[in-house]
Amino acid sequence: MPDFLHNFILGSHTAFSTMNVLYCFIGVFIGTLIGVLPGIGPTGTISLLLPITYGMSPVSAIIMLAGIYYGAQYGGSTTSILVNIPGEASSVVTCIDGYQMARQGRAGPALGIAAFSSFFAGTFGLIILMFVAEPLAGIAIKFGPPEYFSLLVLAIIISTYLCHGSMIKALIMITAGVSLSQVGLDTITGQTRFTLGIMHLEDGVGLIPVVMGLFGVAEVFMNLEESQEVKVFKAKIKGLLPNLKDWKESIGAMVRGTFLGFFLGILPGGGAIVASFLSYGVEKKFSKHPETFGKGAIAGVAGPESANNSASSGAFIPLFTLGIPANSVMALLLGALMIHGLKPGPFLIKEHPEIFWGTIMSMYLGNVILIFLNLPLISIWVKLLKVPYRVLFPLILFFCIIGSYSINNNIFDVFIMLIFGIIGYLFRKHEYEPAPLVLALILGPMIENSLRQSLLISGGNFLIFFEKPISCFGIVIAILILVSPIFLRKYRTSISKLAE
Amino acid sequence: MKRDQISGSFWLILGIAICIGSVKLHLGTFSKPRTGFMPFLAGASMGLLGLILVVSSIIEGKNEEIKENKIWVKVNIKNILFTLLALICYGMFFNLLGFILATFLFFLLLFKLTEPRKWVMPLILSGVVTILSYLLFAVWLKCQFPIGIFKLGWR
Repeated sequence: MPDFLHNFILGSHTAFSTMNVLYCFIGVFIGTLIGVLPGIGPTGTISLLLPITYGMSPVSAIIMLAGIYYGAQYGGSTTSILVNIPGEASSVVTCIDGYQMARQGRAGPALGIAAFSSFFAGTFGLIILMFVAEPLAGIAIKFGPPEYFSLLVLAIIISTYLCHGSMIKALIMITAGVSLSQVGLDTITGQTRFTLGIMHLEDGVGLIPVVMGLFGVAEVFMNLEESQEVKVFKAKIKGLLPNLKDWKESIGAMVRGTFLGFFLGILPGGGAIVASFLSYGVEKKFSKHPETFGKGAIAGVAGPESANNSASSGAFIPLFTLGIPANSVMALLLGALMIHGLKPGPFLIKEHPEIFWGTIMSMYLGNVILIFLNLPLISIWVKLLKVPYRVLFPLILFFCIIGSYSINNNIFDVFIMLIFGIIGYLFRKHEYEPAPLVLALILGPMIENSLRQSLLISGGNFLIFFEKPISCFGIVIAILILVSPIFLRKYRTSISKLAE
Repeated sequence: MKRDQISGSFWLILGIAICIGSVKLHLGTFSKPRTGFMPFLAGASMGLLGLILVVSSIIEGKNEEIKENKIWVKVNIKNILFTLLALICYGMFFNLLGFILATFLFFLLLFKLTEPRKWVMPLILSGVVTILSYLLFAVWLKCQFPIGIFKLGWR
């Protein structure tokens, strides 16, 4: 306990210094902004701002970038409720009942409960994070290359499972990401691979130009296909505080959403999107009036909003304890930590407690700032939606260019971004999701190193992955996930035949 | 040809190409994997998955008549090509014209795309955005930008 108190004080001291409070504010402010604006998400924004953090202290950089991440979860619900367009993918479910509430003249309570649920889940998610992270890091210290390999493989396999549409296409994205990560110098032998004689590629394909292209430029191209303007819900927003009946209907959903979201957030490859969908399903099952779902049920807003926020807290666990990012945003934070000379993994909490505890404490502060940013200032955020896309898209493209250029002050990176913009656009046209590719691009070198080291240790014996319990568990689960669609399909066919 | 068959064939060919490249890099053995080992695994999996996609798309196409979405119908391709051209030009002339002039022309091109008949508003908007972005990135955040042949900007 004295250790915990000591860390708590250390974290508070770090997070509440004037500069870090300012960076926390900037982070959650930008997060809310991009959460509200459809078309640019936290992944694109964090990669854009990553070069700006070079001059900051590592803890300030992480505090700001993390603020953008959880801030975007708050902001994303605003557009779902008022415009029926999710600002973020994790707010898709909020559209269903949130927009219906707005149409019935209850936009105020919908926005209010979304913000309170986010606050409740964000805060409780952090409390669990504080207690779970350190013991887990203690266990992770004993991990060797086989354990890391199996957990990394599990992470990318889970990420494909959560994609919409074809699993084969998601798996292809992973192989593309791993192949792309192989470009450049082989860290073990020093030999160059697939550089096509281009010197700039010796350091590998830059993550930021790839992310900017796949998410930023490709999204702009998709939006340019149809030049339609967003129609904002015109009813006046009043009475943001939910009434007693609203609270009664929401409180259970908030608690369930918080726990569900947190544990799904921990899973490598899991995250806010699936948590929000599952929570909606759970609430519909638990509700005494499931028929009201889809017609403006407040529990249908409270549950998913709690789940996506606590999942964003949970996602920090694999990053801080294992150095394995749970999603593409966490992968960028991993990159940020490494840029600042820190090695994310089980030793991070022990060797740099100020980073972990400072970030956690800043998240409490961030959640409080977000409540104030989101409730009284809601009308200002709504006005932002009226900025015409014809003004917005050149700015998004410009930010992507500057973000890519400023990493190495080299125009070559801009062309890489452009190529991946075109590729990303074609991916969307052919229904390929780019997120697994990004995750695989980042995890690729780690997977390669742990695989080669494991094989060197075992003298080429693949059984090494089944000898240790954790490694065996990871591989078995990954295989089960891979083969499950085949059995599910067979099960469905036999059920439908029986029904006939 | 269905679009899954097109994309599947692409991945199959790319996978084979990666495998050939990896073999040239030396695969090593299981007990001593070398530089080409991992890319070979990735390329082989990619090719195999591409093949599965092609085959499954052919089988599904035979079993049921799939309504193929017309993915390129109703697409405002002019807007996309124009934006792409603006991006390529920006990249090509960035060092030659310098940050300020290249950025100004880039914004002017894109603002004109949506308002082809007007000149004043796009000119004012481009000017304001260029100055603000220069102040933000070059002056405040100290990003290093080229000043170009006209030597516009200061350090």
